[in-house]
Amino acid sequence: MAWLMKNSGGMNIERRPEAYLDDALKAELEKTVLPHYPTRRAATLPVLHAVQDKHGWLPYQALEEVAEFLGLSPSEVCDTASFYEMFHLRPVGRHIIWVCQSISCELRGEHDIVTKIQEKLGIETGETTLDGKFTLMHAECLGSCGSAPCCLVDDKLHEDLTVENIDRILDSVK
Amino acid sequence: MALKEPVLCKRIPTPPWGDPKDRHYVGYDEFVGTGGYEGLRKAITMAPKEVIDLVKASELRGRGGAGFPAGLKWSFLPPEDGKPRYLTVNADESEPGTFKDRLLLDFDPHLMLEGIAICMHACRLDTAYIYIRGEYHHQARTTQRALDEAYANKIFGEGSILGKIADRWPQCYVHRGAGAYICGEETGLLESLEGKRGWPRIKPPFPAVAGAFGRPTIINNVETLAMCGPILVNGVDWFKSMGKGRGEGVPPSAPASFGPKLIGMSGHVNRPGVYEEHLGVTVKTMIEDYCGGMWKGRKFKAAIPGGISMGVLATHEYEAPLDFDIGKRYSCLGLGTAGVIVMDETTDMVSVARNIARFFAHESCGQCTPCREGTGWMYQMLTRIEAGDGTTRDLDLLLEISGSMGAMPGTTICGLADGANWAVRTIVNKFWDEFESRCHKSAGVSLAVVGS
Ligand SMILES: Cc1cc2nc3c(=O)[nH]c(=O)nc-3n(C[C@H](O)[C@H](O)[C@H](O)COP(=O)(O)O)c2cc1C
Ligand code: SF4
Ligand code: FES
Repeated sequence: MAWLMKNSGGMNIERRPEAYLDDALKAELEKTVLPHYPTRRAATLPVLHAVQDKHGWLPYQALEEVAEFLGLSPSEVCDTASFYEMFHLRPVGRHIIWVCQSISCELRGEHDIVTKIQEKLGIETGETTLDGKFTLMHAECLGSCGSAPCCLVDDKLHEDLTVENIDRILDSVK
Repeated sequence: MALKEPVLCKRIPTPPWGDPKDRHYVGYDEFVGTGGYEGLRKAITMAPKEVIDLVKASELRGRGGAGFPAGLKWSFLPPEDGKPRYLTVNADESEPGTFKDRLLLDFDPHLMLEGIAICMHACRLDTAYIYIRGEYHHQARTTQRALDEAYANKIFGEGSILGKIADRWPQCYVHRGAGAYICGEETGLLESLEGKRGWPRIKPPFPAVAGAFGRPTIINNVETLAMCGPILVNGVDWFKSMGKGRGEGVPPSAPASFGPKLIGMSGHVNRPGVYEEHLGVTVKTMIEDYCGGMWKGRKFKAAIPGGISMGVLATHEYEAPLDFDIGKRYSCLGLGTAGVIVMDETTDMVSVARNIARFFAHESCGQCTPCREGTGWMYQMLTRIEAGDGTTRDLDLLLEISGSMGAMPGTTICGLADGANWAVRTIVNKFWDEFESRCHKSAGVSLAVVGS
C-alpha cells in the first residue's frame, strides 16, 4: 500500500497559479460523474483518476482542489489518494511499466523480464529514466495469469512476455 | 463426463468447443440474437420473490471466493422502505491466479449486465455499481460500451423494461478502483466506493442491512451474476444436472456444488487459460485434458486450487476434485475462485511461499495488528530461509505465526489474514522436508509445531 511518505510538518507545497482541476474539467465531472452518487465524497476516485489522467500525477495542490470541489478536507482526499497504488503523489515518467510479480508470473519467468527491462532502461524498479520517459514499477497480479508473464504499459496489457518481445514492446512506445 | 455445451462461454470461443483466436466483443445485437436477455425477460414476468426462490432452489453459490448461496444472500434484505438500495458488482478480481471475470468483461459483458438486471428486479435494488479494478483498463471500456448499449435498449435508465424500482428508474454505473487487492473484500469495496481508503468494516452489520452509503446492499461476483440469466431461461433442474451434487446419505441441508464453473489454469502447463467445466472436475483432468499436460514434459508437483489464499494441494493430491468440499477433504481453505496455479517438479516451494507472503504483506490494509505485522514477519522469515539463512526454529515460528493469524476470532476484521495463514501454513506443512533441508539446525528448544 502506498503510504504517504512525506513529512507534512515541514512540507513545502509547490504551487502554481493555474488550477489542475480547471473549470472545464469541473463542469464535465459535475455533469458526467457526480450524478452517479448519493454523496460527493463517493466521486473521489473518479475525480482523482480524471485529474491524474490529465496531468500524469497528483501534486498536493491538485488534492486540495479536489477536496474543495468535493466539499472535503484536503486530509480526507490525501488519505484516500495515498491508499491506492495507481495514484501517484510524486512525479513519474511519461509512461509507466507495471510488471506483475505475483506467483503465476514468477513461475513463468518474471525475474528475467524485470532484469531485462532494468538493463535496457538502466533503472531499478521504482525509478524513472533520466529522460523522464519510463517509470518501472512492480505490480501484484494483473489478472492475466493465463498469459504470464505480463505487464501493463500505461493502460495497455502485454501478455506472454519474453526477453525478446519486451525489447520490441518498449521500443514501440513513443 | 465433460460439460455438454458451454454456458458462460457460450459466446466466448473456448476449447474444446471453440478457438480462443475467434474471440470478439459480443455487442447487444449479437447477444440478443443468441438468446441473451431472455432470462431477464422471463424474470420480469415473475414476482421478485419468485425469482429469489428460483435462484435459491438452484443452489447457485457465489463464484467470488466464499461460495455463499446467492439466493440466500438475496433473501436477507430487509423489507423495502422506498429509499435507495444498491447492488455492487465485485469485478475487483485481484487474487493471484484468478483471471476468469476478465474473460466475461472482455468478451461478453452483457451476460453480467443481464444478471445485474435480474438481481435488481428480484431484490428491488434501484442502483448498481460495477466496481472494476483500476488495472482493468480495457475491461472498464468494454463494460462501459455494453452498458451504453444496454441503456440505449432500455435495460437500464428511463423507460427501463424493469420499470421503476422504489419509484426510481434503475441505474447502473461503472466505478473504477485504483489498485488495491483489499477492495475485493466486500466491505473494503464499499468503503472504496464511498470514496475512502478500502478498509474492511467490522461485521455485523452485514451489507444486506447496512452496506453502501448505509443502505441495504447486495454484493455479488461477476460470474455469480452472469450465471443468473441462463438459470432463469433453462431452469433449476438443468442447472443442477451440472456440477456435483451431494453424495449418498448427505443431508439436503449440506451445501453442494451444482453448476458449471469457469476455471482459470495458470503456471506450468502447456496451454494455460480459462476453461469451463462441471464443478467437481479434477485437477488432473484440467491439466491433462484441457491444458495439454505439464509443460516441458515435467512432472506435477503441486497446485493451488483457487487463488493463492486457498493453500496448496500436495503432489499426491493431483486428483482432487474442484468443488466446494475441497477444503475439508484436502486440508486447504477451499475452492476460492477456482483459479488453479500448477507447479512442476522443479518448483522451489520456499520461493513460492516467499512470493505469496510478499503479496499478503503488501496488500494487507494494515488496520489489524496480527495481519499487518504477521504478514510482514512471514515475508521476512521466508526471504531469510530462501537465502539459506533460516533455522529450523524459524520454521516453527513461521507455523506459529501463520497458525494464529486470523484464526482467533475477533483479532482480524477480514478474510485476508486467513488467506495468508492458510497459504503459508499449508505450503510449509505439505512440503516440510523441502523447507527443513533449507534450514540450519537451531540451538534453542523448538516450539511446538502447530498442525494444519
Ligand atoms: C481479501 C479478500 C479479497 C477478495 N477479493 C475478491 C475479488 O476480487 N472478487 C470477488 O468477487 N470477491 C472477492 N472476495 C470475496 C468477497 O468478499 C465476497 O465474498 C464476494 O464478492 C461475494 O460475491 P459472491 O457471493 O457472488 O461470490 C474477496 C474476499 C477477501 C477476504
Ligand atoms: S485482516 Fe488484514 S486486510 Fe483484513 S482488515 Fe485486518 S489488516 Fe486489513
Ligand atoms: S500472477 Fe501475474 S497476472 Fe496474475
